[in-house]
Amino acid sequence: MATAAPPYSGHEQRPNVPSSAVRLPAVTDYEQVDREIIATLRPTVGWFAALGVAILCLLIGISAWIYQIYSGLGVAGYNPPVMWGVYIITFVFWVGIGHAGTLISAILYLFRAGFRTSIYRCAEAMTVFAVMTAGLFPILHLGRPWKFFWLIPYPNWRLLWPQFKSPLVWDVFAILTYLTVSSTFLYIGLIPDIAVLRDREKNPVRKRIYAIMSLGWRNSDTEWRHFTRAYLFLAAFSTPLVLSVHSVVSFDFAMALTPGWHATIFPPYFVAGAIFSGIGMVFTIIIPIRKYFKLQHYVTLNDLDAAAKLCLFTSMVVGLAYLTEFQIAWMSGNTYEQEYFWNRLFGQWAWAAWIMIICNMVLPLSLFSQKLRRNPAWLFILSIFINIGMWFERFVIVVPSLSHEFEPWQWTTYAPTFVDYAILLGSFGWFFMWFLLFIKQLPVIAIAELKEVLPPRRRHPHREVYEHSLDEGIAHPQVTGEHELPGGRH
Amino acid sequence: MSEPTRAGVKRREFLKVLGAGSAAAGAVACSEPTGKLIPYLVSPDQTVPGVSTYFATLCRECSAACGVIAETRDGRVIKLEGNTEHPLNRGALCARGQAAVQGLYNPDRFRTPMIKEPSGAWRAASWDEAIAMLAQRLGAARTGGTATSAVFLNQHESGSFPAFLDQWLAAFGMRPHLSVDFEADHAAMEAHRRAYGTSWPRFNFAGARVIISFGADFLDGWGATVTHQLDFADARARVTGAPRFIYVGARRSLTGLNADQWIACRPGTEFAVAQLLQGRGDVNAVAEASGVQAQVLGALVTEYRAAQGALVLASGRGENGLELANAAAALNQTRTAEPIASFDGIARQSEVLAAVGRMRAGQVGVAFVRGTNPAYALPRSVNFGEAFARVAFKVSFSAYPDETAELCDLVIPDLHALESWGDASAATGVVALQQPAMDPVFTGTRSTADALLAVAKADAAVASRYPQADYRAWLLPRLPGGGNAQTLAANLARGVAAGSLAARPVTSPVAAPPATPAPTSGDYFLVTYPSPVLGDGRGANKPWLQELPDPVTKVLWSSWVEIHPETAAQLGVSRGDVLEVRTDAGTVRAPALPYLGIRPDTVALALGQGHASSAQSPWYDGKDTSIQWGYGRYARAVGVNAGDLLSARVNTGGGLIATSRCAITRTGDREEVVTTEGSARQHNRGIARAIDVGDIGRPPADGGGHGMIPGAASQEFLPGLRSPVAADAQGELGAPTAADRGTQLGMYDPDHPTGLARRRWAMTVDLARCTGCSACVTACYAENNIPTVGAPWQNGAVYSVKRPGFNVTRGREMNWIRLERYYEGADDGHFTEDFEARFVPMLCQHCGNAPCEPVCPVYATYHTPDGLNAQVYNRCVGTRYCSNNCPYKVRYFNWFGYGESDRVQYAFPDPLHWQLNPDVTVRAKGVMEKCTFCVQRIRESENRAALEQRDLAPDEFTTACASACPSRAITFGDAADANWSVTRLIEDERAYHVFEELNTFTAVVYLKKVNHPGAAASRTAAAPAAGGQH
Repeated sequence: MATAAPPYSGHEQRPNVPSSAVRLPAVTDYEQVDREIIATLRPTVGWFAALGVAILCLLIGISAWIYQIYSGLGVAGYNPPVMWGVYIITFVFWVGIGHAGTLISAILYLFRAGFRTSIYRCAEAMTVFAVMTAGLFPILHLGRPWKFFWLIPYPNWRLLWPQFKSPLVWDVFAILTYLTVSSTFLYIGLIPDIAVLRDREKNPVRKRIYAIMSLGWRNSDTEWRHFTRAYLFLAAFSTPLVLSVHSVVSFDFAMALTPGWHATIFPPYFVAGAIFSGIGMVFTIIIPIRKYFKLQHYVTLNDLDAAAKLCLFTSMVVGLAYLTEFQIAWMSGNTYEQEYFWNRLFGQWAWAAWIMIICNMVLPLSLFSQKLRRNPAWLFILSIFINIGMWFERFVIVVPSLSHEFEPWQWTTYAPTFVDYAILLGSFGWFFMWFLLFIKQLPVIAIAELKEVLPPRRRHPHREVYEHSLDEGIAHPQVTGEHELPGGRH
Repeated sequence: MSEPTRAGVKRREFLKVLGAGSAAAGAVACSEPTGKLIPYLVSPDQTVPGVSTYFATLCRECSAACGVIAETRDGRVIKLEGNTEHPLNRGALCARGQAAVQGLYNPDRFRTPMIKEPSGAWRAASWDEAIAMLAQRLGAARTGGTATSAVFLNQHESGSFPAFLDQWLAAFGMRPHLSVDFEADHAAMEAHRRAYGTSWPRFNFAGARVIISFGADFLDGWGATVTHQLDFADARARVTGAPRFIYVGARRSLTGLNADQWIACRPGTEFAVAQLLQGRGDVNAVAEASGVQAQVLGALVTEYRAAQGALVLASGRGENGLELANAAAALNQTRTAEPIASFDGIARQSEVLAAVGRMRAGQVGVAFVRGTNPAYALPRSVNFGEAFARVAFKVSFSAYPDETAELCDLVIPDLHALESWGDASAATGVVALQQPAMDPVFTGTRSTADALLAVAKADAAVASRYPQADYRAWLLPRLPGGGNAQTLAANLARGVAAGSLAARPVTSPVAAPPATPAPTSGDYFLVTYPSPVLGDGRGANKPWLQELPDPVTKVLWSSWVEIHPETAAQLGVSRGDVLEVRTDAGTVRAPALPYLGIRPDTVALALGQGHASSAQSPWYDGKDTSIQWGYGRYARAVGVNAGDLLSARVNTGGGLIATSRCAITRTGDREEVVTTEGSARQHNRGIARAIDVGDIGRPPADGGGHGMIPGAASQEFLPGLRSPVAADAQGELGAPTAADRGTQLGMYDPDHPTGLARRRWAMTVDLARCTGCSACVTACYAENNIPTVGAPWQNGAVYSVKRPGFNVTRGREMNWIRLERYYEGADDGHFTEDFEARFVPMLCQHCGNAPCEPVCPVYATYHTPDGLNAQVYNRCVGTRYCSNNCPYKVRYFNWFGYGESDRVQYAFPDPLHWQLNPDVTVRAKGVMEKCTFCVQRIRESENRAALEQRDLAPDEFTTACASACPSRAITFGDAADANWSVTRLIEDERAYHVFEELNTFTAVVYLKKVNHPGAAASRTAAAPAAGGQH
């Protein structure tokens, strides 16, 4: 095993994957990776319990929704003119969470940030399920949800089209595009891993399903070349979506006249907030998984440290956006804005605004301490605060604006009802149900990429031939003969 | 080849069932229920499907008896409008009048006669049985000698019926009836009779230079309010030369809020102030007693003396009501001659109390009650129920299960006024005619007159006196033109005719009441007043009126205690803290409402709520079909009855004294005040603007006065209301067929065959006229099928809270037009008389550049070529984004299935849905709705004009709000055509748009309110000298 350095030292591995010595000191070979990661797929009592809780929450949410459809939206806490409430808040919340996955898997991939390797699968799956969750909310907040398809431009004999000026129609496109691209991205990345599962699976039915899903992956050089190119392409394709989707979501607010919404800062502010909240949710998910499945040697403290730095950075961006909003309102000379922002900070909704500020601006500052960045327990606690804070950020945007608009006679208040809370709970049930099902069917940590980090097991090191395509800008080992490729077992 | 058959469902069948089942499930989920439209097989005369028939008749909601035009469709009344021919209301109609149709279609009306079993249970009876029972009991009373002591309490109505009734009573040996009106101001009427020779004159607002009202709420419940309002608004709308208006009273009522100056004297000291005007008394002593600064009183005296023509009015509801009213009549310098004859003949309260006294003494054998509700309206301390129980036989002719009917032995349900024949004195030499606008809603009801005739015919002794088949046959020959069928038909069509009715003699003055000592216990003064909306409680069973915010406090569906913020702060009371108000006579509990317009030493409660029944659970459950005692489902257990606080004290004018002393204590409970008010302050947003009369015609000192104030951009685009979209709508940018397609493209073709693109519908609201009476709001509910949402059961199972108005506390009221009331001044929490109220009717502004339109993802809201902001209910999916983006917040969402009859939220329980306007959709659950500028009226008029092959005439039609408005503040029309009045008004120098700086280019233009500070500032300076003279 003690081999000399490969001939092209800069290119011997996928460049975004640091060397194994630094990355995964406790992992020795491919066999261990396969064994340990696949072990996470074994159902446990704890998993069944968690899935049961998730499905229970989902059922509560579904019951509430059925009740709401039957009775009318009045069962929710809407207090006109607060015409949007918990559902839109939760929609934006989940869309935001859905941003971390693509950020980590695409942007960090392009930026060659090594720490993404261990967490990106988890983040990507989280993205897809978060967008699936978010996508429900624009429908279930409708007065007549059974007519939701009218927002989609489809040919019809009435010659009616959606109003393309409406940000809500943009939302439809943005969300559907993002869902399509992010799930494709997730799936493409999964193919080599599914092949590993296929090879290791004993159950013939599951083996067949994995075989179909792996698209007949044979771990050949050609496949790897195509795979890496496709992956790179999708990464490049997804990157603008990370920025555009949440910009479009922010247009729901920024395009409106409402004081507190009508602001050009919203797109960057929302994107930063989305990434921040997504990283928070990644912590919330990966830290328990890491602990429960004993994957500490894959998801290392170094990885968490790096992600925590990103978290700190986005927190500060978000904080800057908060302060900028106040400054712009102060300098605008616009009574409506000024009064609204004063009210946000010191009025009726001060409690919500201060929850937001403390959770999103103040507490993450603790991540300046390396000790805390490397403390998974603290990161987990902090991530819960970030989730709460980011939910309240959207609350502060949606509710106080509508309750304190142009017309003083219509200033009002807002209080969610049990239906709002049940559907909010149901959305977590829906999300975690999918996520839990996912981690029992497919590896939550990317097997193939982990193997890339490891030194390949070589029986005949002298026959190793490295080849790289300069036109790809990326090199990867072209291995012949009995050399083991990361994506399957031979 | 035969396949072995197996038991169970075959695969194909299973798939079929599955397919059909899911299709059915889908259909159930996805489509609104469809109903059937069944036209008449043989259409009755006058009935053309889809075309309205109009009947001129009378409103009997208060004693004034305004003329109304009842619009009927397929034989059902759907809307009331004022009769332009009627001298009292001249085409206007107040909120209570509008709501008369909800009395007609009230779901709680008696359907048949009812008899109370000895066990106390009620059972439905046939007419024959009821008439026979009444005839038998009357015969027995006559032979037993108790007939002479019988009491007939009839809700006051002017016309021939009182004479008919007296005749009938006399035939059975009974004394004349008492014509009761619990809202009436008896002392004022007594003074009017002495001074003007009539119970109610038509006051000369036009001739006044200054109006001084001593608690006379002539805009909200004091006499013929619509007449007052028309005259008052006309006088004030002159702008220059308009009378200044000073209100003297402890509480600023709606009338008080319309005054330019408020002088808050202690309750009971108005007379002293009036005497000061008469030159009697010492200003400092009066200042001491009344709690008003001496220089203010001095200035008042000076102003009165200086005014060439002061109209002085006074309420007689106080301690020395008659003296005050007499003084006011003496002080009145304007010529006030013309009588409003419909108020003549109202029995004094003291006479009613005397009759109750006779009942208590067991001297009354038979009692009849018709249309009035003494068990509710008399103060509890009178203990009417106990006295009434001593009457052997009690008959109610009430149409509704009210408190008095519940105490009776027999209910003979009357018809509603809109189903009845009748007449009324309208003015000198004018008789107003009342004809049925439709067949009775319930076949089991019959007019009282017809019932009385049937009783007479069943009695051998009097049958011969009544040869007529029914009351119609009795009445018609007596009407003007009654002898000639054609003349009569013409008169009936107009609703008024020349003629006169024999006035019922005013009963002789009763002896001065026994001097009961004035109550002294308690640190606070108590003022009670008839609700401007519910009257003496008669309106409480009509959901439109329950849902109509009180014009002053904006509270609805409940009761409240008005208390000054300063007092509230001293007592540690905040809004919603339940207060216990205690007087010598009784106690009530209601939430506190800090109100600027009341003296710190006074609290006030409105009458009209607090209907109750001993037999019924508090809340209707949405399904119960039994009789809803306690005045029906909408009235029962809503709020408290402020009458419980009053003792049975009568002033020298024969009226109950509505003021008292009271003590207030905090109970520690809280009850959210049901109100539509958000912030009562404008926060410098220029929504309700005003201009001092002296500044009119003068260029603003600051070059427009706009400065940094939002809502005050330039007014350059006002004339013609041009805007990019509106101009486009009017074809100025060219048609889509133009050669320069894509550059100068407009959306609308000016040559479009509809011709719509040449109009721009617009509205002006003159705030100098608007008094805030809210008639427009109820008119809008009536015209546009707007559901009421505040009934306790309309929360359904959603919230555990079951209390009236709960949906309103969540902001879910649907008032397409709402009356906003903003205060100016008095914002430091301390008592001051110097604050101003501004009323703004706020409705969809039909923006030329509407923020709601581009945000709707499905084009459910869009701009019509003629400038309307249209809402397509069928297309709406309910994203509610349009409302979020509306700066005026005038869009309303259907949170529940208010139009679905199988739901507890159903707003139109049978037969209230008969009232629904067939031209307007009843909106489905989950869609947005808002003011349409009465698009159904626009299209109807356009279509009529097109059928008649002519153009629309200027001001040919108007919206429901404008049509009802008793101050003529709202004008609607085509702003693109200079011949319409609206175009002229838009160019008034007072015109402004709300939130103009948002570039919404609204089609609603407000004209600034005109304030008359008059010589107030200079007078304040001159006051010490003036005060010193006295």
